[in-house]
Amino acid sequence: MSDEIDITQMETSEILELIQDDLYDGLADEVEKSVHELLNRGMTPHDVLTQGLVAGMEVVGVDFRDGILFVPEVLMAAKSMKAGMEILRPLLAETGAPQVGTMVIGTVKGDIHDIGKNLVAMMMEGAGFSVINLGINNDVTNFLNAIEEHKPDILGMSALLTTTMPYMEVVIEALKEQGIRDHLIVLVGGAPLNDAFAEEVGADAYCRDAAVGVETAKKLLAIRREKLG
Amino acid sequence: MDNSKEDQKDTYQVFLMPSGKRGKVKRGTNLLHAAEKLGVELESICGGRQTCGKCQVIVESGYFPKHGITSSPDHLSPPQEGEIACCQQHGITGRRLACAAKVLGDVLISVPEESQARKQIIAKAASDRVIAVNPALRQVYVKVEAASLGDPRGDWERLALALETQWGLSELTIDSKVLPNLQRILREGDFSVTVTLWQEKEVLQVQPGYCEGIYGLAVDVGSTTIAAHLCDLRTGEVLSTQASMNPQVRYGEDLMSRVSYATTESQGLARLNRLVIRTLNELAEKATRAAGLTKDDVLDVVIVGNTVMHHILLGINPVELGRAPFALALFSDLDLKARDIGLGLNLAARVHTLPLIAGHVGADNVGVMLSESPHEQDEIMLLVDVGTNAEIVLGDRQKLLVASSPTGPAFEGAQITHGQRAAPGAIERVRINPETLEAQIRVIGFNDWIDLQDGKSIPPEAKPTGICGSGIIEAIAEMFLSGIINASGLFEESARERSVRVRYQGRTGEYVLVDNKHSATGSPIVITQNDVRAIQLAKAALYAGTKLLMAHRGVDRIDRIVLAGAFGSFISPFHAMVLGLIPDCDLDRVIAVGNAAGDGARIALLDIKMRQKAEQLARWVDYVETPLAASFQEEFVAALNLPHSLDLFPHLKEFLPKTDSQKERKLRNKIRNLKGNGPS
Repeated sequence: MSDEIDITQMETSEILELIQDDLYDGLADEVEKSVHELLNRGMTPHDVLTQGLVAGMEVVGVDFRDGILFVPEVLMAAKSMKAGMEILRPLLAETGAPQVGTMVIGTVKGDIHDIGKNLVAMMMEGAGFSVINLGINNDVTNFLNAIEEHKPDILGMSALLTTTMPYMEVVIEALKEQGIRDHLIVLVGGAPLNDAFAEEVGADAYCRDAAVGVETAKKLLAIRREKLG
Repeated sequence: MDNSKEDQKDTYQVFLMPSGKRGKVKRGTNLLHAAEKLGVELESICGGRQTCGKCQVIVESGYFPKHGITSSPDHLSPPQEGEIACCQQHGITGRRLACAAKVLGDVLISVPEESQARKQIIAKAASDRVIAVNPALRQVYVKVEAASLGDPRGDWERLALALETQWGLSELTIDSKVLPNLQRILREGDFSVTVTLWQEKEVLQVQPGYCEGIYGLAVDVGSTTIAAHLCDLRTGEVLSTQASMNPQVRYGEDLMSRVSYATTESQGLARLNRLVIRTLNELAEKATRAAGLTKDDVLDVVIVGNTVMHHILLGINPVELGRAPFALALFSDLDLKARDIGLGLNLAARVHTLPLIAGHVGADNVGVMLSESPHEQDEIMLLVDVGTNAEIVLGDRQKLLVASSPTGPAFEGAQITHGQRAAPGAIERVRINPETLEAQIRVIGFNDWIDLQDGKSIPPEAKPTGICGSGIIEAIAEMFLSGIINASGLFEESARERSVRVRYQGRTGEYVLVDNKHSATGSPIVITQNDVRAIQLAKAALYAGTKLLMAHRGVDRIDRIVLAGAFGSFISPFHAMVLGLIPDCDLDRVIAVGNAAGDGARIALLDIKMRQKAEQLARWVDYVETPLAASFQEEFVAALNLPHSLDLFPHLKEFLPKTDSQKERKLRNKIRNLKGNGPS
């Protein structure tokens, strides 16, 4: 590339800004370089994650929510975020840095659409969450097994059809029966849903799009952690 | 009832069917004014003086889960003296005069066709194609041996023998409803009768003496529109075409809402079934009357419809069509008695339903194939039926592939800020001057281009109320061609300096297609960033489905494209291609047809061989479940840009804006990498 910049000559704050720009433009290689440079300078993996990657994805999320960025750009940003995250993940595990949170997400039984849900999964990863994506057509057992295994903070369910969305209530009822409904934040989304539906089936919130999903997840998780002290 | 709660509210929801117009109005608003405000003009000669009785409306009763409201007659102010007198004078029962009613609660109002100031124009008109006339019915004239003492045989046996000896017709049966009158008719005709046979197997009608004339109905049950063509089965001529809105619309505009309603509401299925059957009976009545016949003259019917309409029509619970694996109750064609499904035609009339292909690919699609014959092409043909669910057929005489793509209702005007169905007042065509960014539009019901330049006045009947599918496709393609939006679909900030029509709400742009002075509603009609996004999502689903079928078939280019679907005027092939709804193709070889499904029904009505052909075709095509394909997501993402982020459109080269900036090239490379890597 002609506009090659020597990042070793830059201020740390400038590199953090550069990461944000590169995430926005979906430049995975550049993001990786910056992450390495910041680590070389002795920044903790957790700080690189929160001040660099997560902060950058927040900007992406806001512009997606406002319709300025669209699915292709957001996907590219999320891929770049993931590239940076791959470097940080083992280090974060080593240092025992605080986790942002874990989410299990899937499309409910009877529904085979998952592009929107995949976008949510990527944006959640972009926000630093660890995401277990169960794919399409998940019945109660699938959800319960995944919850048992991964102990997530958040359960996300998606449906594109009016006819399949009622299954969300079936899953939530099963959570209640198992006595684990209150251990989880349940977020629901998909084209035919709305706030009233979320309330009716006993979910914690309806999320209009991936950006709102991330915002809501963070907000509800913060409230919850505050409550638990 | 929760009247106490209702009383506290000061605004209420008003839904107007069949236009689908909705909105909130203040308590006590006059219903005629409320309708006008929401963009529905009601007929009124007396101007609200409760004398002409033209503004009749029907208040629906019950809970409408789709709209989330409970509607009830007592949500309108009770009739007063003037209205009661007027209704008595005009013999109006079961209806209210909108001019005399005040809104006191949520209401769902059905506006009968005769009350609409702008009558419905339905795009479904039978086209003139060459169709072989070889119907399922045949009339034969026979002289039957008279009854006599010593001959113990019944009159039917004597008639059957006459048919065998005079016409070579053996092993015939007689419809049980013909039998009761057989003896009378034989004697009335002095034992000379005209017999109408179905498929040379069954006697459907016996008439005294010599008669001629056999008639049938070809019916397309669409989720939005139901159309019936009355045909002379000897000449093939269409005697009358009648259409009306599908009254099920009030229980949900898209198919899945109908499935939900049918399966979750008690009596839901029965109600939806009754509505469609009643409409078919009304259309049959209107069509036969227009042709100087009666419903009793109709002896054969062919029906096409999507899978959900098909199941509901036959009283089959569509619950399985609402969830994977989308199992059909049956996919074969059916021969039924019209009376068994509640059709009030000739008592012995027959019904044939064309076969279905898969959970989301129905008899309507088989009809489209009969009409457009992709299976007879030597070239690769793409056949797209655009609607809430787009059906895609691709291939040639060697092999045909079919898929359904979940485009959502954006192409029908739903999810679009000022979207509406294709009805009078809807903008159906759009041109934007690339220099001035001023627009010209065509409005359904007004037969000329309308120049929207500021300062020009336009006739009131040309004032638009919203924009329908064909209009939104052209509007967004024109916005792209004139540089208002770029290839990623984003509003160009620079466009704001070029025209006041481009403005920003917060951070996002919108284009004022029609300002408040020129619109029928008094508010501007705008195309927002979100509208552009909704169309991008819909067209990408369609394009991705097409690309998957092309990959399956191993072709990288298409020789011929047919765009079917009735939403406003025919889709403009050029604009559809600029948008990237369809792949690149010689524009001269892209044609838009209207209601090809209905034409398919007519073909099957007139030519019995085509019914066998339809069944063979339905079983021969390969169905592909596109959303399950591993590459669907990548294809979808790559297809979101206008016209596409990777695929080239050489046939549009001279028209497309030069947008190959460095940034976009970069983006293109990235998407290409993304595709190469496969799903994450």
